[in-house]
Amino acid sequence: MIQNYLILSIILFSLGILGVISRRNVFTVFMSIELMLNAANLSFITFSRLHESMDGHVLAMLVMAVAAAEAALALAVVILLHKHKGNLDTDVFSLLKG
Amino acid sequence: MFAEGLFFVFSVLSVLGAIGLVLFRHPMSGAMSLIVTMISLAGLYALLSAKLIFVLQLIVYAGAIMSLILFIIMFLNIQIDDLPNEKGRFYYLLGGIVIIAPIGYFLIKVIKTLPGSETTIIGGGFGGVKEVGLVLFQDWLFPFEIVSILLLVALVGAVVLAGKRRLIK
Repeated sequence: MIQNYLILSIILFSLGILGVISRRNVFTVFMSIELMLNAANLSFITFSRLHESMDGHVLAMLVMAVAAAEAALALAVVILLHKHKGNLDTDVFSLLKG
Repeated sequence: MFAEGLFFVFSVLSVLGAIGLVLFRHPMSGAMSLIVTMISLAGLYALLSAKLIFVLQLIVYAGAIMSLILFIIMFLNIQIDDLPNEKGRFYYLLGGIVIIAPIGYFLIKVIKTLPGSETTIIGGGFGGVKEVGLVLFQDWLFPFEIVSILLLVALVGAVVLAGKRRLIK
């Protein structure tokens, strides 16, 4: 049944949110965001199978491109922060707190 | 019947990979379990007869993006002492489950009311390169161009951020 795919997508998205709010490692938080993007992709593909139209496939491709851009920028920022602070803790990076 | 078995295997593998990502302490182990999730999601896309997205998931996500993340993790040479001290993470995890579980339960109740459909493979080139390309370049041309500009800006930004500082000083 096609509902099972959507339920799996919800489970993966919830696990991604749990990873973002419970971990303090920069890399784990970043990969949890990637996991949430993948869960959204799965529901796009499932709905496009349900309606038998291919717009969901195009949207999934655009999400992949956005994820690639995000990965490039976020990893550059992580390298800079590691160079400055020598640490990977998200609580250390509080420059904008004032 | 065979497709249901494949769906069961792939979904269990993807959920296990996601749980491993949340629970493993070292980011390298987390990245490895995320790769398991990506590859089983590619199998699910193949079961949903999305051929092009299946290939793109394997090449772009499990191949390019994850190898970029693994490269950066190895480049920073993270030892077990450099990791942040995450003493309270199980309390945060329990609190997050308490908040997320009702929302997920509600969404699952909503999904149960959707009209069901069989997940047999659609023939006739559904999800192939030619068909998806036609939809992409006819109906979605403007978002495609915007995404290309976004990729260019991200490329320039990454070079400016992580590049050498000598030229600026």
